[in-house]
This record gives sequence, C-alpha cells and structure tokens, in this order.
Amino acid sequence: MAASLRPTLMRQALAAPAQRTLTSAVLPAFRVQRSQPILKAIPRATFQTSAARQILPPLPQVIKGGVNDPVPTPAPHPAHGSYHWSFERAVSIALVPLTAIPFAAGAAVPMVDAGLISLLVLHSYMGFQSCITDYFPTWRVSVVRKVADWLNFLAIFVVGWGWYEFETNDVGLTEAIKRVWKA
Amino acid sequence: MALRLASRRFAPGFAPQVFRRSMATTIEHTKGEPISTAAEAATASRPPIPASKTTNVKEPSMDKEALTKTFHIYRWNPDEPTSKPKMQSYTLDLNKTGPMMLDALIRIKNEIDPTLTFRRSCREGICGSCAMNIDGVNTLACLCRIPRDEKQEARIYPLPHTYVVKDLVPDLTQFYKQYKSIQPYLQRDSPPEDGRENRQSKAERRKLDGLYECILCACCSTSCPSYWWNSEEYLGPAVLMQSYRWIADSRDEKTAQRMDGLNNSMSLYRCHTILNCSRTCPKGLNPALAIAEIKKSMAFT
Repeated sequence: MAASLRPTLMRQALAAPAQRTLTSAVLPAFRVQRSQPILKAIPRATFQTSAARQILPPLPQVIKGGVNDPVPTPAPHPAHGSYHWSFERAVSIALVPLTAIPFAAGAAVPMVDAGLISLLVLHSYMGFQSCITDYFPTWRVSVVRKVADWLNFLAIFVVGWGWYEFETNDVGLTEAIKRVWKA
Repeated sequence: MALRLASRRFAPGFAPQVFRRSMATTIEHTKGEPISTAAEAATASRPPIPASKTTNVKEPSMDKEALTKTFHIYRWNPDEPTSKPKMQSYTLDLNKTGPMMLDALIRIKNEIDPTLTFRRSCREGICGSCAMNIDGVNTLACLCRIPRDEKQEARIYPLPHTYVVKDLVPDLTQFYKQYKSIQPYLQRDSPPEDGRENRQSKAERRKLDGLYECILCACCSTSCPSYWWNSEEYLGPAVLMQSYRWIADSRDEKTAQRMDGLNNSMSLYRCHTILNCSRTCPKGLNPALAIAEIKKSMAFT
C-alpha cells in the first residue's frame, strides 16, 4: 500500500543504533546485526509502525496460575472506574458551551475564562492519565508508573499557576486568542 | 468488507494514503525487510524472514489454463526454537481449489506440504477455530473468499499479538482464562416462580440478539490495540461482550456483582472506542456497542 510514498523521516532515526559505537560494541546482538547491511536495503521507511520503537517489548509468555484458572478479578474501584468515566464525559461535555460562549459574547468574561481554563487543565490531566495507564502497567513498571502519575498530578498545579498568572497579570485566554486570530 | 463497514465510506477523504493503515494489520515490516535491527534485538517477538528469501512451493501439476495464485503463509516450528519464523509461499491453481481461504489451506496441507499447521473444524463459520490474519484483516479463513485476482498475493498470519504455538496456531490461554473470569453462565438464587423454567418476555430475549451469536474466535480482541498493550489486565472486546450478554440477561440475578467486577481502571475502561472490534468481526457483531452499553449502564452509579 503506497510503500514508495511513505515518508522517509524515520530512516535516520532507525539507522542510528547500528552506527552508534557504544551499543554496537556492548550488545552482541547489535554486533551480529551490523555485519548484515540490512538497513541500507530498506526500500522505504515506515512512519506509522509501532513495532520499530516499542515502549515495552513483549515478554516471554507466562501463564499465571493454572491454564484452567480464571484471571483474578480486581476489587471494585468506582473512583477509577465508573465515577472516573462519568466525570471524564461530564468535563468534556461542559467544555463545549464554554468554548462557544466567548465567541457568542464577543468580549472576555473573566468567570467564563476561569471555568474554561480549569476544565481544560482537568481535561488534559485526565487525558494524560489515560495514556499513562495505557502505556505503563503497574505490574511491569511500577516505579515509572508512580513517577509519571505524580508528575502528571504536579502538572495540574504548575499549569494552573501559569494560567493564573496569565489571567491576572496579562490579557487572559479569550483575549489572547482574539489577538492572534487572523481569520 | 467495504459494504459492511460504515466507517470505510468516510476513510478516503481524511488521511493521506501514507498515514493510513488498514485494520488489525500485523507489523508492516513483516512484508519486506526488517525495519530496525535495534527493535529486533530488543524484543522477544521476531519478524519472519520475508517471502522473497524463502522458496515458493508450486502445485505438482499445473494446467495450461490454470488460475494461479500465490499464498504467503507465516511458518514457525516450535521444534526448532532457534530458527526464525519465515514466510513460505505456495502457488495453487484456483480452478482446483474451493472458494474460501480455508479450502486453499486444506489443499496445501493435503497435497503440497503436510507440515502446515492450522486449526479448523466446522468450515462454515460456527466453531471459530480458523481465526487468522488474512491480507491484514482478522477473520475466519472459512468465511473469507479468495480474491480471484491472480496478481494479488494472499498473506496469511496468525492472529496478531498472540503467542504462536505453531505456524497459524495462536495460544489463546489468556483469552479463555479471561472468559472464565466473567463467569459466563446463568447465576440466580431464587427458584423460578412456576417451579419449572426461568421465563423471559420476547422483549427481554431480544436484548440478547447480537450478543449470544459470538463464537469466541478472538478476532476482535486480537485486533484491538488496547488489548495488544494490556492483555494481562484489560479483558478485551470479545470477553466484555460476553460479560454484557449476562448483564443484559433478565434471568440473571448477579448483575451488580458482574458490574463490580468490571468497575476498575483496567478491566473495562481501557476500551478507547477504537472500534477495530466491530470492524473486523467475521460474524458481523458489534462488540464496541456492547462495551458502550456496559459503560452507559455503569455511569453515575
């Protein structure tokens, strides 16, 4: 499918590990591969593949418990389950009118601005949280997961403080968009 | 396929060809050269030797007006654990082969290469044994027609992101363990009112249509990127649809407990409505809708 059309952006990035002396000297796997000029033979570079840069490559198969035992059912945590999901939807829905109001009103209303910003911060917090939960499973990288979760939490306050400064000492979100909007 | 899938109708307009990727595709580079030696060295999964570097086994006696078609089939033998998987090519005369992919596989096994291994049983889409990735789509080999175009070569892989037992046989242990964990059977404490049957109205029975037909072939679960990442904890579309089949059942009395079992961050809520499941289902079912119904019924409770 359009193999020849694929962007070649990744080619250099892919070629790099084989040339780097450190890795190729340390890991036998790289040394063996290096003797084969495979990378030069690539007719195309695939931009969209997830296989070439795996975050957590698959481990050998491990079957926990017997093959006939059910997988353990986790204890119910509505705060991470149904409440969380409902809250996520509520925030997303609430963002729609808050995005539209400044257009309709024409002028910056401080309270609308504040609501929009705080919901945006929450919305992006939950979005990143979802990514972290997806990519860093607790059973595999518990420390990374914890650090990422706390960094994400910390970001609420850092970003929130930044917006507070921008709102109080500068023009504010709606006014800023108004100034850069040339349509 | 294009007829069945509503989302297909809108596809061409949005993304340019280069960024588009068909559903449930296996790793792109398995079609050609390995894309990155670094990735290959770092991972337990090994991309197969491409078909261009393996032999092509042809049918013994080819007619003059033969309609030939080449099938590239993923091969891996557990008896030789150090050897890499490879793509083996077979060329068949379609005039002597049945219409479905499974017919071609059976013919290869009977007449060309008896070492080819795959699961099959009913050959009519009822058992779900022959689920595999054919031309980039998870489907049942027995329900997948062989395109009559000679130039278009077929590529057959095992279900993506599964541990391979041999050739086209995936290991579905985790899938069945997860299925068992949702307790897929009727649970009730009170006896039926008339002492004989657990009765159901027609409307209540109708809720189970589109759910009970699932044959657990695992095509949908193995096409779900979220299940690829988190198959240890996320239950996957097939199992969640069966879970909903029992949640929606009016005769079942453990609905609350069933929902509690899903009420955590991993089991259910790793579904990001990617919809690959509904897109790939060879039985035309809609697991994504079932998952959405569970989420809806659990919302604000």
